[in-house]
Amino acid sequence: MGNVAEKPNIITTSLDFLVNWGRTNSLWPFPYGTACCAIEFMSTEVGRYDLSRIGSEYVRFTPRQSDVLLVAGTISYKQAPILKRMYEQMAEPRWVIAMGACASSGGFYDCYCTVPGIDHIIPVDVYIGGCPSRPEAFFDAMFDLQKKIKDESYMKQRAERVKEQLEMIKAKTAEAKAEAQEFAREKISLAKDFVVEKEQELVKKAQFWKE
Amino acid sequence: MIVLDPNGEKLNLMPLNVGPTHPATHHCIRLLAALDGETIVAGVSEIGYMHRGFEKMVERGTWQQVIPYTDRLNYCSAMMNNIAFCRAVENMFGVEIPERCKVLRVIVNELSRINDHFICVAAAFQDLGGTTPFMYAFNPREEIMCIWEKLTGARLTNSFARIGGLYRDTYDGFEREVLAALDSTEKALKDLHACLDRNRIFLDRTVGIGKISKEHAISHGWTGPCLRACGVASDLRKDEPYYDYETYDWEVVVGTQGDANDRLQVRLAEIEESVKIVRQALKRLTPGPVDIVDPRIRVPAHKLAYQDMEGLIGRFKSVYEGIRVPEGEYYSASECANGELGFTIVSDGSGHPYRIKVRSPSLNHVAAFSEIVEGLTLADSMATLPGLNMIAGELDR
Amino acid sequence: MESVEKTEKIAALLEEKFGAKRDAKARWDVAVVVAAEYLPNAVEFLKNDPDIRMDMLVDIAGIDYLTYPNHEGPRFAVSYAFKSTVNQGCRLRLKVLVGEDCPKVPTLTGFYDSADWLEREVYDQFGIVFTGHPDLRRLLNHVEFVGHPLRKDYPAQKRQWLSTNDFLLPELEKRLEKLGYRIVQRSKEVLPNDDEFLEGSIRE
Ligand code: SF4
Repeated sequence: MGNVAEKPNIITTSLDFLVNWGRTNSLWPFPYGTACCAIEFMSTEVGRYDLSRIGSEYVRFTPRQSDVLLVAGTISYKQAPILKRMYEQMAEPRWVIAMGACASSGGFYDCYCTVPGIDHIIPVDVYIGGCPSRPEAFFDAMFDLQKKIKDESYMKQRAERVKEQLEMIKAKTAEAKAEAQEFAREKISLAKDFVVEKEQELVKKAQFWKE
Repeated sequence: MIVLDPNGEKLNLMPLNVGPTHPATHHCIRLLAALDGETIVAGVSEIGYMHRGFEKMVERGTWQQVIPYTDRLNYCSAMMNNIAFCRAVENMFGVEIPERCKVLRVIVNELSRINDHFICVAAAFQDLGGTTPFMYAFNPREEIMCIWEKLTGARLTNSFARIGGLYRDTYDGFEREVLAALDSTEKALKDLHACLDRNRIFLDRTVGIGKISKEHAISHGWTGPCLRACGVASDLRKDEPYYDYETYDWEVVVGTQGDANDRLQVRLAEIEESVKIVRQALKRLTPGPVDIVDPRIRVPAHKLAYQDMEGLIGRFKSVYEGIRVPEGEYYSASECANGELGFTIVSDGSGHPYRIKVRSPSLNHVAAFSEIVEGLTLADSMATLPGLNMIAGELDR
Repeated sequence: MESVEKTEKIAALLEEKFGAKRDAKARWDVAVVVAAEYLPNAVEFLKNDPDIRMDMLVDIAGIDYLTYPNHEGPRFAVSYAFKSTVNQGCRLRLKVLVGEDCPKVPTLTGFYDSADWLEREVYDQFGIVFTGHPDLRRLLNHVEFVGHPLRKDYPAQKRQWLSTNDFLLPELEKRLEKLGYRIVQRSKEVLPNDDEFLEGSIRE
C-alpha cells in the first residue's frame, strides 16, 4: 500500500494538486493577537485590504477549526504557556505566522518579561517584520505560506504516514507475537512440569502400593 | 463546588475559566467565574498577560527615546500618548510651545480620539456578533490612517510628537484631506446610529447591563468616557484645560445610566464633539513654526545642522547625551481616549529618565470588571467587557 | 489658578495636622511627605473633609532611590496621587518614605477601591508590603517570578520562565466567602494531580 505513492505518478500528482489547491485557498487564521499588531490585522480584515480575497475571511477564534496560528503581538512569559497550549490544540495540518517584530524576535522590548521571539516556544513558518507590519506585508506572508503549502506533497506525506503506521503495526505484531510465544512457552513448560509432577506422584503412589 | 448561599440554601456552582484566549477578552484578561446555571455568582480576574516592561525599558534610554514606547501604550490612538508625554516633559521645562504646534496637536489628538472610539465601538459589535458596524467604523478610520501615513510615515505607531514641538510640519493638502475624513466620519456615524439606535437585539443585550454607580466608579478611579457614562461631567480638557481646549466650542458628553449601552453611546457622541473641535481647529491653523527654538530641548532642524556650528553641536549633544530635564518629581495628567493618562516622572537631572510611572486608565476600569459582572449572565458579561475598552498595552504596560 | 491656592491651603493643613513636610522635589505640583503611620488618618481627612473631598485615588507609584545621585534617607518612596471630582482641578500628591529593611506601608483599600490593584502592582514591582491588604499577590508578573523587577538592582534582562498558569480557584473561594457564601465541598480542580498540572506546560 505504501509503495504506491512513493514515486509520483499521474494520479498522485493530480491528487496533490487538488488537496493543495483546497488548502491554499481556505487558510483559516486563528488570530492570536495580543497587542498593537492585532489592530493592524483588524485593518487587514476590513474593506480596504480585504483578507477574504485569498479565502481567509473566516477568522476562527478556536484552535480546533483553524489552520494558521497568527501570532500578532508581544508574548510575555505569562502568556507563553497559553500560546503553547493553543498550538498543541490545533489539528494537523497547521502553520504558524509570526507577525511583527515582537512575535519574531521580541522587538524592542528586550526585557525581563517578554519572550524573545515565539520560536522559543513553537515552530514558525513565516516571519513578518515591521512594528507593526503593514497589511501589505501581511499579504506577502500569506502568499509565501501559500507557496510553501503548494510545494508540500499531500500524497507523499500520506505515504510516509501510512508507512510509519505500517511499520508501527508490524512492530506491534512482532511484539505481540513474541509475547504470545513467550506466554505459550511458559504455559507449555508449566504444563510439562505439571505432567512430570503428576507422573512422579503416580510413580510414588504405585511404589507405595507395591510395597 | 458545593456552597451554602447567605440564606443557607445549597448551591452547586461550576467554576468556569474565561479567557485570556476568549475572543472578547482580547488575550489580556482572564476571568474565573463561579456559575450558578448561567449566572455569575462571583468572579475574580487576572491581568498581566501583556506586561512588557515599559517602565524598566524607558529607564535605559534618553528622554526622547521614551516617545516610541509611549506609542505602544494605547496603540489605538498612539499619538495622543506621545503628546501627553511630551506635554509632561515640557511642563517640567516650563516652556510654551508655538501656537501652530498647539493647534496641530489638538487636531491630531482629536483625530486619534475618533480612531480610538471607532475601534472600541467596532470591537464591541464584533464581540456581540455584528460584523456590519465593524466594516462601517473602519472606513473613516482607514482614511485617517492614510492621513497619518502622509503626515508621519507610519500607520499605527506614529511617534509624531517631540519634546518641544512636532516631528514635522504638515504637507500640502493636509486640511483638505482632514476635512474629507471628517465628512466620511460623519457619514459612518450616521450609518452606525442607523445600525444601533433601534436595533432590538443590541438594545436588549446592552441596556441596563453592567451598571455601575457614580460613587463606585469614582472610588474605583474611573475616568474618561466610562466615568462620563455614569453621569459625572469630568473631562480634563475642561477641568484643567491645556492647549486652549476651553476656547473651542464643544460639550462634555455625559451618560445617564452607566451601563454598557451608555458607554458605547458616549463614545459615539464624543466622536461628534471631536469632529466639531477639529473643524474649528482647522480654521485656527495659521502658518508659523512648529518647534520651539532651544537647542537644549528640541533638536535643531537638519538644515541648521548642516549650516552652522551651533546647530551641529546642539544636534550632536541632544542625540548622544539626551536632553537634560530639570531635577524633580512631577505628576502630569492628560485626557486621552480612555481617560486620564498620567505620568509620574522622576528626573535626576541627567539625560535619562530616572523613573516614569504610567497611570493607565484601563487598569482602573478592568479592576472593577469582575465586580460589576457579578449577578449577570455569562453572555452579558462579555457584552460589558468591550465597552470598558481595555487596551492591553495600556493595561499591563 | 484658584485650584492651586486651594491645594496650597490643603498642604498647609496637612503640615499642621499630621506633621507632614512639603516635598522639595515636587517643583511643579504640590506634594507632601507624611510618615507611614499617619497615612490612613491623613487620607481619611483628605477624603471626608467637606471642603477638600479628594474622592479619587488616581495613582500609586513606587520609586526606588538606590542610584539617585546625592540621595539621603530611606531607599523607597510610595507616591499617591489624589484628585477631586467635586472641586475640579484640585490635585495633591502624598509621599511616604519607606526603608529597605522593613518596607511596610498601611493599605488604603478601606478608603478607595482603586487602591486594591494599584497596591498589588507596587508590591509586585518593588516588594513594598501594604499591611492590611486583603489579597496581596503579584499583579503583572507571574506567580513563579522571583524578585521585584523595577528595583534598580534587578537586571533588566534577567528573564524568568513560567511553567504553567496559576489556578485562581483559591481566590475565587475567598471572593465567595466574602460575599457570604460558605464552601461545603471544594472543587476537585483546586488540588490537581501532577500530570494534569503539567500538561501543556513549558519546562526548559
Ligand atoms: S511589533 Fe511593534 S506593533 Fe507589533 S506588537 Fe510589537 S510593539 Fe506592537
